[in-house]
Amino acid sequence: MIRNTHPTLPEFEYIRPQSVGEACDFLTRHAADARPFLGGTDVFVRMRDGVLNPKYLVDVKALPGMQEIRFDPQSGLTIGAAVNMNRVIAAAETREHYPLLADACRSVASYQLRSRATVVGNICNASPAGDTLGACLAFNGVLHIQSSQGVRQELLSNFFRGPGKTTLQTGEIAAALFLPLPHAGSQGVYIKLGRNKLSDLSLVGVTALGYPDPGAPSGYRFRLILASVAPTPLIAKQAEDCLAAQPVTPASIQEAARLASEACAPIDDVRGSARYRKQMVKNLSARALTSVWEKLNRRGQNDISSD
Amino acid sequence: MSIIGQSVPRLDALGKVTGQAQYPGDISLPNQAYLKILFAGRPHAVIRSIDTSQAEALPGVIAVFTAKDMPVNEYGLIMPDQPVLCGPGSAKPYTDHVRFEGDQVALVVAESEEIATRGRDLIRVVYEDLPILSDPVQAMQPESPRLHPERDSNVFCHYRIRKGDVEAAFAAADVIIEGEYRTPYQEHAFLQPEAGVSYMDEQGRVTVIVAGQWTHEDQEQIAHALGLPLEQVRVIYPAIGGAFGGREDMSVQIVLALAAWRLAQRGTPRPVKIVWSREESIVGHHKRHPYLIRAKWGARRDGKLLAAQMELIADAGGYAYTSTKVLGNATLMCTGPYEIPNVMVDSYAVYTNNVVTGAFRGFGGPQAAFAAETQINRLAQALGLDPVEIRLKNALQEGSLLSVGTPLPKGVSITQVIEQARAASLKWAAEPPPGAPSLRRGVGYAAAFKNVGFSFGAPEQCTAAVTLYGGREIERAVVAHAGADCGQGAHTVMAQMAAEALHLPLERIEMVVSDTAQTSNSGSASASRLTFMAGNSIKGACEQALQKWQAEERPAAATYQYRPPKTTPYDPQTGRAEPNFAYGYVAQAVLLDVDVETGRIFLRQVICADDVGRAVNPQQVQGQIEGAVVQASGYAILENFITQDGRIRTDKLSTYLIPTILDTPEQVESLILEYADPIGPWGARGMGEMPFLPLTPAIIAAVHEATGVWFHEFPLTPERVLRALKP
Repeated sequence: MIRNTHPTLPEFEYIRPQSVGEACDFLTRHAADARPFLGGTDVFVRMRDGVLNPKYLVDVKALPGMQEIRFDPQSGLTIGAAVNMNRVIAAAETREHYPLLADACRSVASYQLRSRATVVGNICNASPAGDTLGACLAFNGVLHIQSSQGVRQELLSNFFRGPGKTTLQTGEIAAALFLPLPHAGSQGVYIKLGRNKLSDLSLVGVTALGYPDPGAPSGYRFRLILASVAPTPLIAKQAEDCLAAQPVTPASIQEAARLASEACAPIDDVRGSARYRKQMVKNLSARALTSVWEKLNRRGQNDISSD
Repeated sequence: MSIIGQSVPRLDALGKVTGQAQYPGDISLPNQAYLKILFAGRPHAVIRSIDTSQAEALPGVIAVFTAKDMPVNEYGLIMPDQPVLCGPGSAKPYTDHVRFEGDQVALVVAESEEIATRGRDLIRVVYEDLPILSDPVQAMQPESPRLHPERDSNVFCHYRIRKGDVEAAFAAADVIIEGEYRTPYQEHAFLQPEAGVSYMDEQGRVTVIVAGQWTHEDQEQIAHALGLPLEQVRVIYPAIGGAFGGREDMSVQIVLALAAWRLAQRGTPRPVKIVWSREESIVGHHKRHPYLIRAKWGARRDGKLLAAQMELIADAGGYAYTSTKVLGNATLMCTGPYEIPNVMVDSYAVYTNNVVTGAFRGFGGPQAAFAAETQINRLAQALGLDPVEIRLKNALQEGSLLSVGTPLPKGVSITQVIEQARAASLKWAAEPPPGAPSLRRGVGYAAAFKNVGFSFGAPEQCTAAVTLYGGREIERAVVAHAGADCGQGAHTVMAQMAAEALHLPLERIEMVVSDTAQTSNSGSASASRLTFMAGNSIKGACEQALQKWQAEERPAAATYQYRPPKTTPYDPQTGRAEPNFAYGYVAQAVLLDVDVETGRIFLRQVICADDVGRAVNPQQVQGQIEGAVVQASGYAILENFITQDGRIRTDKLSTYLIPTILDTPEQVESLILEYADPIGPWGARGMGEMPFLPLTPAIIAAVHEATGVWFHEFPLTPERVLRALKP
């Protein structure tokens, strides 16, 4: 059945509040029929498809601080909610300290879309396929959430509750993402498997990050986060622990990849089967972890040669 | 210097680049109303009743139309087997049957699109669902319920070819290769979804501005359904945003005409506009036919083909559309561009409750070429022969007899295109790029031929009118031609040919195009025919106009109808026919890498050697080759149209993906060959479809070389490839 009714958007009222208080008030008063929006790249599509039909769209991009990207060498990177992905990619601090996030952003849709799409919007949309979620989780990201009560901070690892579901409450606005300074020597990789090379959602996405840690038996810690294979971004904890507990070798990487594949619970849909996704988690986790491991070693060699 | 062979800028380039060009959806008329269609949304049912009262009562709704408002409630390019609007109230029996999801049930005309949509949702239809036939093989069985109760079978077309004695030849063969092949749907996915505006023009004609492929056929279909004489219907094409065969059948044409005409009859004439959403477009127009092809080929040890036995079953969906013609082509092309002494073909077009299928670039050729070329590639492998050598050994030559027992028209160049594609591919590296241990490399070859123009006895003609203005010298030449420029550059090429024939600079040619009130019947923009047919008609008209000019007529005007050599239909028993008056020949080589860990195919290089006879505008020819290769790469690898119990599950471009710029082959090398067609204008052949045909089997062969696996179905999605690699 053809559901969509509009080649274009249905009618709605555009609200542009001047302050956080005003925005939170409005969203609270119109809880049933108002939505905040940033780039709109998800909201507009769903409105066009008739899935969402809000009476009010509350544009929070102009609120104080929303457009800021700020790096503190002592603590980390703060990305305002309205900073679009192309700005995140272009920022020198991202490239230097969080290149994994820049890579993840580059894999999202097209350049044009990334001029609208935001990392915080990607997070709030809470799609299991969200390409930047893995990087933000790997860096232990914290969301700054504003409401009429003030600001609360939420660890991203606690934020996702299901497809499209988060701990965000009515009247709350995600204002910024904070990424603490990465561990020294961190190396990351994001591998996205889509059906085409541009603009498809990920069939499987694998985010891997590794860094030296003398406290770990293997001397390294790894983060491995999977997209599109569970109701929320999936942290493959067993796989991460596996590589911390024993020496990192091709065999232990295969073992970690197998654990990751076992941990996920993908679904069948028009884009691919659960079986294929599980296979891909195994193959691409191995590929991502191997790539991170090679980068870590290359870096080690470079350090030695530069001494 | 001749203007034939010059890559002159397209006449429409500036308008399209600057956004000035008007596509149907861009056109708005004062005081227009908006039309929304209620689609059936179910694959098989009888409509017991339609209650439009709530919709009509909605403020802003101007009118609601159903089957009872349709004077002659039927249409169809080949046979009028589809109701324009499904529902009770028509004189014709069984027009209350719904036979696929995209059947149209009611039309709502309103002050705005929003209101029309709300009105649509207020229409109450009582359906009695019928069993859904979604498997064509099952639908062929005599005991299966019939979709069209007045017919005695769901099989509505069956062709037979009987040449020689295949059984005796198989007995004598050193090797026999059998295969069962399945081809997928393909959605045209043109940039511009269906749209249009209708109104009563100043002469009282029902006028429809729409994008199509044949103005005069649209005019006929509208006139038939409305019960009007032809001259009271006018069809105009503005800029067209792609077609590829997908606009050959009716989508919004008849319903737009009906709405404007009925409003005028009620004394409230208003223009009516419609724009389909992408979902409406995907559900509402036909697709490329899925085919089931069973093949058995026998050859001698030295590679000489002895016999081919083929069975083809085409899933037509709920209505015929152009299925019989598509099947005719596939039946001829399923034995490849080869001379085979013994041939037996049985082919069937079958009604099912799946989405309708019809014309799409290649028109049965791609499905047939996939089976034929994979058969010959497998034969080569079985015999330890080179895939190019085995082709050259069997390739059609001047005077060769086709499977239908008659020779090809002169100008056969399949050997040349195969040799040149091969020669250009010798430079390729045998190894995948370093640093990617999971990649496996393969090279594949395939060849094909494709008719130019209408086949098998279908009436074929093209008419042009040329008027020369001026005094001592020709100051201006007006060329009136109905031929549709769907984006392929046809009008530019027509103007070039007129300039050449009149010995005038291009700037003095003025084109009047695609308006049934101002131009004569050109036939369609399909079958790779427009350059060939329009060229011959324009050439003839120009020559006659020049004669009149020399006889001092001012202005000097001439209308010329070009008629190509006659063709004949399949003999019902033997298939003997003179199928076509012209062909184009093409061969391709592809280089690809397969990632054996993900199943992904990376299409690196494509060489396309295409004999176009004469490239009137080489840049446009190259564009057609590259476009066809990209579209065919989507067909072969990416585009995965999914239906389930007659319902489309991929009704968006986010679920049905087509290649993006990053998915195109790294390089497409167009070898534009010019072996003149003896009757083509300036030697030109048609070429719009040919580069589509060989790509899939060439990719299949390359994947085999890379992985050792033959695929009998596609698209070669990573998942399908990986499953075959790791059972």
